[in-house]
Amino acid sequence: MGLSRRTFLKTTTLATSAFVIGFYLPSTARAEEDSKGAIALQPNAFIQIDPDNTITFLMGQAEMGQGTYTAMAMSIADELDADWDAVRFKASEVKPVYNSVFGPFMLTAGSTSMSTKHLEMRKIGAAVNAMLKTAAAQRWNTDLSNVKTTKSQAINIKTGAKLTYGELVSDIKTMSVPEYPKLKDLKDCELIGKPTKRHPSEAWAKVTGKAEYGVDVRMDNLKYAAVLHPAVFGSKIVSFDPSEALKRNGILKVKQIPGGIAVIAEHWFQAKEALNHISVVWDKGTFASISTADLKKEYSDLLKKPGASMRKDGNSAKAFKEAHSIISAEYEFPFLAHAPMEPLNCTVHHTGTTAKMWTGGQMQTTYRDDCANILGIKPEAVEYHNTLLGGGFGRRGAANSDYINDAVFTAKDEEWPIMTLWTREDDIRMGNYRPMYKNKARVALNRFGDITAFEATVVGQPVVKDTILGFLFKDGVDWAQWDGLTDHPYSITNHDMQSHSPSSPIPALWWRSVGHTQTAPMVEGIVDEAAHKAGVDPIAYRISMLDDLRCIKLLVDVKRISDWNNRKKEKNVGYGVALVKSFGSLVAQVAKVRVTDNDFKVEKVWCSVDCGFAVNPLNVENQMISGINFGLAPTKYSEITIKNGEAEQNNFYDYLVTRISDAPDIQVSIVNSGEKIGGIGETAVPPIFPAVANAIFDATGKRYHSLPIKIS
Amino acid sequence: MTTKIKVDGTTYEVTVDDKTPLLWVLRDHLNLTGTKYGCGVAQCGACTVLVGGKAVRSCATFLDEIGDKEIMTIANTTDPLLKKVQEAWVEEDVPQCGYCQSGQIMNATGLLKANSNPTEEEIIAEMNGNICRCGTYNRIKNAIKKINAGA
Repeated sequence: MGLSRRTFLKTTTLATSAFVIGFYLPSTARAEEDSKGAIALQPNAFIQIDPDNTITFLMGQAEMGQGTYTAMAMSIADELDADWDAVRFKASEVKPVYNSVFGPFMLTAGSTSMSTKHLEMRKIGAAVNAMLKTAAAQRWNTDLSNVKTTKSQAINIKTGAKLTYGELVSDIKTMSVPEYPKLKDLKDCELIGKPTKRHPSEAWAKVTGKAEYGVDVRMDNLKYAAVLHPAVFGSKIVSFDPSEALKRNGILKVKQIPGGIAVIAEHWFQAKEALNHISVVWDKGTFASISTADLKKEYSDLLKKPGASMRKDGNSAKAFKEAHSIISAEYEFPFLAHAPMEPLNCTVHHTGTTAKMWTGGQMQTTYRDDCANILGIKPEAVEYHNTLLGGGFGRRGAANSDYINDAVFTAKDEEWPIMTLWTREDDIRMGNYRPMYKNKARVALNRFGDITAFEATVVGQPVVKDTILGFLFKDGVDWAQWDGLTDHPYSITNHDMQSHSPSSPIPALWWRSVGHTQTAPMVEGIVDEAAHKAGVDPIAYRISMLDDLRCIKLLVDVKRISDWNNRKKEKNVGYGVALVKSFGSLVAQVAKVRVTDNDFKVEKVWCSVDCGFAVNPLNVENQMISGINFGLAPTKYSEITIKNGEAEQNNFYDYLVTRISDAPDIQVSIVNSGEKIGGIGETAVPPIFPAVANAIFDATGKRYHSLPIKIS
Repeated sequence: MTTKIKVDGTTYEVTVDDKTPLLWVLRDHLNLTGTKYGCGVAQCGACTVLVGGKAVRSCATFLDEIGDKEIMTIANTTDPLLKKVQEAWVEEDVPQCGYCQSGQIMNATGLLKANSNPTEEEIIAEMNGNICRCGTYNRIKNAIKKINAGA
């Protein structure tokens, strides 16, 4: 058969183990290395224990700031009884064992790392711990009950003898893996459920500049590329003249790639400056005559037409006919860039039939496969290295792989490894935006002020259609159009909700909290209007419209922490509430806003969160703060507008984002309901839009339905 | 042009084109990658370093402006105040994606060198040029307030 003992063991394991997904299949190269004893045993794909007792956790999930590395590691380390401060993290290779629950690919998105992998990580830690205990008992020829483990070592409680995990690791190579390892009782956990700072190895790397992001990859003979991209969406290159650029210092090559014109240079700044010295004849195409006003007109026309049905139940028409009163509104939300702090980049070294690539990506398998396809080689021939991500927010999960493709085409058939780095202007102007939306909604109220019917129409480019998450586009309706709208938590019996999916050459993409960025301001805005119409306190009104006890409890919690009933009435100061269920979690927020002349300042946000169970409460708090500050940007400032087919914005001077002077005081309360674990990375974003708009209404008596809010 | 620059105690001789910003001299010529590129137009602060003890945006600073002034970056291991700021950042659990934090920390260090006990208003005014898309601002404020820069 030619199977080594280890491979055989793995195969057996695969056939019998309950955590097939957890186990490592050695590649040929690795097996070869292994036979030379060059690499340490990997009990599975997630834990590597070296003979010197260095314990490394291999991370299939991308760390983009959301705290996944620390939370995944806590889940393993607690069950493994690993020495927390001494563990190390390493991004994994691209392997099926790391695949997401959404399909045969790796993916860090939808706030799913903990909700889908926490238990698996615990089981893996517990299984390896059980094996190490058994190995120690055998070494000491004692009963298993005499062995305890702590801080990466086994202790014989009878004799006090100690063995490190590293010393035991060779013994467990021949051991079968327990299928149902016993997990710790939560009360015995030292990490899981306890507020835990970001792992010191990651935190210290990030405060000393040693953390390696994609842009920091360095290697011998590395060259750099910048890309001249079309300004008008959908335009094409007719011809170009690189001669002036080629005369400049350090310029090695200028080549046309599908994304534009790549300039390869010794240093990146040389490449970037040379872009100004290439003359291009563009075929600007039909979109060159289009501006935001034209898109709004197109969307408005669509709003008047019947669309694809997102939800229809009861008899909405009848309810509106019989309504005591009706509230209706139109909403406009602009295109939004993600603008992660690290400009997009990818480094590729094409070496004939093989290649290596380095980038910070949310979709490792997809990007590796894209690279292979472009180079015409096998996916397994691409060695993919995922670095830390300098922010993601969805942008580093670009469905069209734009920044990856640029890098691969640039490096294709070149002798050097090449880092292709986008400018901030590329990042702001190249699309992959949260779509622009123009929506309408109306609710019917009976004479008691209860909402009896809810109608809405959403017009916006689809996000998931034709992507790896295409299964979420169904019956002409996109996930980003309905998520948070058709499944709103309120007890309303009649619905008629529709959507339209216009298209344009502007690529649209998921943006932190995806559909909720447009559904939360509608749902929580119109419910707030209904409360006002009914003459009922906005929290009391929501509670009266809810059946879901979890939602009610969370509103009660945010009411408590904000001391809602005693909120201080001041001139020009308002308080607004919002409750949003997203990614399996619930977040309720109360915002206190001060309105001045043509401006407003969010002074304080009280935020209650129920994510089922907070694996790392400190990180839950950090993500609430993060989501609120992130969401304030499009509430107050951010928008991409189109003029003559181009984005009008360029950089942080005209695409404005939240700064420290905008950051409100934030108080977070975590409610551990004991329900299924939900997501945390995106869930604080959606409620902040309506909470602020509702607070501005409370202060001024004026409803703002569109974002960003421009006080008039 | 060949110029000598002193970075974190080490003197380097670099040959670069005129008008190459300090950021790219550090990152691509000297491979000192701790200093980050964020916007290239002095709008985000990710590239902040200290020149002669003062915080500057290295993406908009040129070698002829530096002269013989010493450059301090996030990679400095000897400055006691920088060490305190880094410790406070870890203690307050500030970094999320972490990309902007080199610039945040250098800007805070520059602020504290000039003003060892800043008020909240002074912190906000001085730190307002540094963008963090993860929104770690609340933790940054707490961290700076906790640093005893005088001791």
